[in-house]
Amino acid sequence: MTSSARKATLVALVLALLAGTAGCGVTRGGDDPNNRRLRMMIPNSPGGGYDLTGRAAVKAMEDDDITGRFEITNVIGASGTVAMQRLMNERGSDDVMLTMGLGVVGAVYTNKSKATVDKATPIAGVVAEAEGILVPADSPYKELSDLVDAWKKDPKGVTIGGGSSPGGPDHLFPMQLAQEIGISPRDVNYISYDGGGPLTTALLGSKIDAGMSGLGEFQGQIDNGSLRVLAVSGAERLENVDAPTLMEAGVDMEFLNWRGILAPPGITEEEKAALVEIVTEMHGTKEWKAALKRNGWIDNFSVGQDFEDFLEEQNDRVASTLKELGLA
Amino acid sequence: MDLLLEGFATALTPENLMYAVIGVLLGTAVGVLPGIGPAMTVALLLPVTFSVPPTSGLILFAGIYYGGMYGGSTTSILLNTPGESSSVVTALEGNKMAKSGRAAQALATAAVGSFVAGTIGTLLIVLLAPNIADVVVKLGAPSYFAIMALALFTVTAVLGSSKIRGFIALFIGLAIGLVGTTTGQQRMTFGSPQLADGIDVVVVAVAVFAIGEALWVAAHLRSKPLDVIPVGQPWMSRDDWGRSWKPWLRGTAFGFPFGALPAGGAEVPTFLSYITERRLTKHPEEFGKGAIEGVAGPEAANNASAAGTLVPLLAIGLPTTATAAVILVAMQNYGLQPGPQFMDAQPKLVWGLLASLFIANTLLLVLNLPLAPVWAKLLQIRRPYLYAGILFFASLGAYSVNFQAFDLALLLGIGMLGLAMRRFAIPVLPLIVGVILGPRLEEQLTQALSISQGDVSTLWSEPVAVVVYIVMAILLVGSVVMSRRTTPPAPTRTEDASMDVNA
Amino acid sequence: MTTTETTTPVAPDGTTRKDVAQYGLAGFLLVVGIVVLIDAAGLSDGFADQPVQPYAFPYVVGAVLVLLSGLLAVATWRGDVPEEDDGEDVDLTQGSDWATVIKLGLVLVIVIATIDFLGWAIVGAFLFAASARVLGSRTLILDVGIGTALSLLTWYGFYSGLGIPIPAGVLDGVL
Repeated sequence: MTSSARKATLVALVLALLAGTAGCGVTRGGDDPNNRRLRMMIPNSPGGGYDLTGRAAVKAMEDDDITGRFEITNVIGASGTVAMQRLMNERGSDDVMLTMGLGVVGAVYTNKSKATVDKATPIAGVVAEAEGILVPADSPYKELSDLVDAWKKDPKGVTIGGGSSPGGPDHLFPMQLAQEIGISPRDVNYISYDGGGPLTTALLGSKIDAGMSGLGEFQGQIDNGSLRVLAVSGAERLENVDAPTLMEAGVDMEFLNWRGILAPPGITEEEKAALVEIVTEMHGTKEWKAALKRNGWIDNFSVGQDFEDFLEEQNDRVASTLKELGLA
Repeated sequence: MDLLLEGFATALTPENLMYAVIGVLLGTAVGVLPGIGPAMTVALLLPVTFSVPPTSGLILFAGIYYGGMYGGSTTSILLNTPGESSSVVTALEGNKMAKSGRAAQALATAAVGSFVAGTIGTLLIVLLAPNIADVVVKLGAPSYFAIMALALFTVTAVLGSSKIRGFIALFIGLAIGLVGTTTGQQRMTFGSPQLADGIDVVVVAVAVFAIGEALWVAAHLRSKPLDVIPVGQPWMSRDDWGRSWKPWLRGTAFGFPFGALPAGGAEVPTFLSYITERRLTKHPEEFGKGAIEGVAGPEAANNASAAGTLVPLLAIGLPTTATAAVILVAMQNYGLQPGPQFMDAQPKLVWGLLASLFIANTLLLVLNLPLAPVWAKLLQIRRPYLYAGILFFASLGAYSVNFQAFDLALLLGIGMLGLAMRRFAIPVLPLIVGVILGPRLEEQLTQALSISQGDVSTLWSEPVAVVVYIVMAILLVGSVVMSRRTTPPAPTRTEDASMDVNA
Repeated sequence: MTTTETTTPVAPDGTTRKDVAQYGLAGFLLVVGIVVLIDAAGLSDGFADQPVQPYAFPYVVGAVLVLLSGLLAVATWRGDVPEEDDGEDVDLTQGSDWATVIKLGLVLVIVIATIDFLGWAIVGAFLFAASARVLGSRTLILDVGIGTALSLLTWYGFYSGLGIPIPAGVLDGVL
């Protein structure tokens, strides 16, 4: 070995040692056994809806010392199918949760995955967002009834855009709306856009007749009048959008894009109760209330039997819609 | 102009300057890694919006965005491992330059080109942002389909010496592009949800370039000791400048409009720029062996596209890339709603942001230009370490996307393809172009025809589409005439190839 | 192509030889093409009455791949020889050393097989040290040292620096 190589060996070893000791124990070292590290999985990339929800929940839990530290991992793939699969693989782990929602329920069907939500342990439903029906400012449809009439007359002639791929909330909403007003979902001319940005462009350029999406990304266009909201899908009107609910506009349905938290299968009742408890505590914090307001989320908190029933009902409804479309 | 000066006053406060520095440094760091990019970084930093004032927060994010666009090129050039999809094309000539001892020049032309493009781009934002909104939304799927078709068509110009190999590369790329569930059905996913989102072009590029290269080198290790890669001149020579400035400007001209278009992106203009430079160069023999034009053009294009992205974002609140979408979320966290009134309602913030873009550009230049010769020395480490380091880095990048072994297996699989491509002289660019363009071409065609309910005439219903098809026709006629003039009796393909052998 | 490579595979007697391995590439293209076509055949009509069905593009791509496979086979038979990729670190005058390639591939396979269990910190160090050795480095201790330093630095860089919880694997609780 040359002397320079020997010197390099020394440097490398010192470096290794330094690195080894400097950050020692960041994974578990300082954790109090009664206040453990938990893990939160997020089924899409940072900045998306699940991510904002999951991170807001984690922040509320950490800031109020409800739990110890959280490790947040974005498990990206197939609109949440990969994350559901990983949750199944964590069978029996009592320190991991997954933020998920309606889109994940649909995605596991369209991806023909066995990791369906009914196999996981339900913890809590947390938030919901209403969908809105948007048209360009110069659209001939002034009210929801105009759109419904035109749609019924020529189902394929009315193009409906959405910001999610088939199986996602923006796709499920028009399909269920169509079913409700007597149009076969197979006749719906659904154009899938890659998120809110492209959908906005298509609407502003009047490339499509109507868009269906959560309204958060469209607030600017709604406020300045370049887009019009015909109806919102929740049970109540939204604070910052001047539009009727579906019920008020004469369509007897409600649709919410909800998000909730699941744990892996195979955990004990006590372990489940512990997770339910911290999420319930989280729901009471000021941070969480602030997050709801900031993001315009509807408080849709439910635990226990309520959430289990809700989850089952949603699962069946999504499955039947997608089966009718031949997607599940 | 007064507004811009005021903007500089906002951006040059010590605090905001600090955020700009942090932004470009962080952006460069994450731009370097193949797995994580500026979009993810900005998203992870979203919580700072709770504690940092809006102007500073947005300056930080804009710095990350510009820095990321730049950082991706450094590893492209040095390690043949592109950090971002917009830097893939840079690796083609950039790494060849580095291998022949011109790494410093490649890095320098990338840095100066990025600066020039970013600065012109930012000027264009100032000029165009208020007026461009209407134009942007007029373009629909038919126009995009035409543009993508034109891009695909231009690729035929760079298929390489053997047309059949070029087409093989293109169609393997298109086949890779089929993977995924964008159509609502699983195509080529073999039931694996990990493949449902398709195969990312960065993974393909890193595998084909870096892993393929390492395996190929392993197969042909020189038995005699290697000369270290010469360091060469630390700075760009007069000749380098002379050859770079036109590509910078042309790259900017490609990048900016694509960035401003909702379905444009940064990838397509980089390879359009590359193809253009390859056509126009006075040194065609250097292409494929390290031509500086092939670095200067694409690098200017990707930074100009980053600037272009901000036009629709500020003018109508329309995000056209993932990073812009997250920056929009940040703005909304601040209760800001970009749109036609935004520039009037928030002049301090908007002009402060624009001024900080100039500053971020300058910072990137100041930081990176002196570093170029330093980075270039990195290549002097022993060859086993260089390639082991490339493998380490490429694997970390692929693994960091999702922390699953599957992505590494994918990397190895496509790396083997890269090895085979080297063995059988299959060109790389058409493959990459196929992966990028195939899905987009299909998406736009599907969208256009769905909206028109199958009426094909929709494809030429928009003026932009018509113009693009006319350009395509002119190019087609032009290339036929050109080839008549240059190659006397056109040989058949196979003869063509075998002539090479005997040449 | 106007450049003359030093390595055009011309046999010593001056006649061009056939590149038999290229039939393998043609075979690969055929297989990929057929897989694409079979996959396309298994797709049903889209979720709506789309003018462009999900199988439309795959049929085109698959068919062209099969066609290209045939063309390549014919070209190979007629004596078409690829011009292998040359490079600074590549010595084409010697035959291909596939044993080294296989060793390097094995290193990567081991990495893939063990990363879930061992975590990045250990596997990364192994990857660097083992591939450096395969590629001709003979300073084992130095290689392992550098590999360990690199993998620990990147691990902490992710976990503590960027706040991205890169799995620690078997070292969970130690790192």
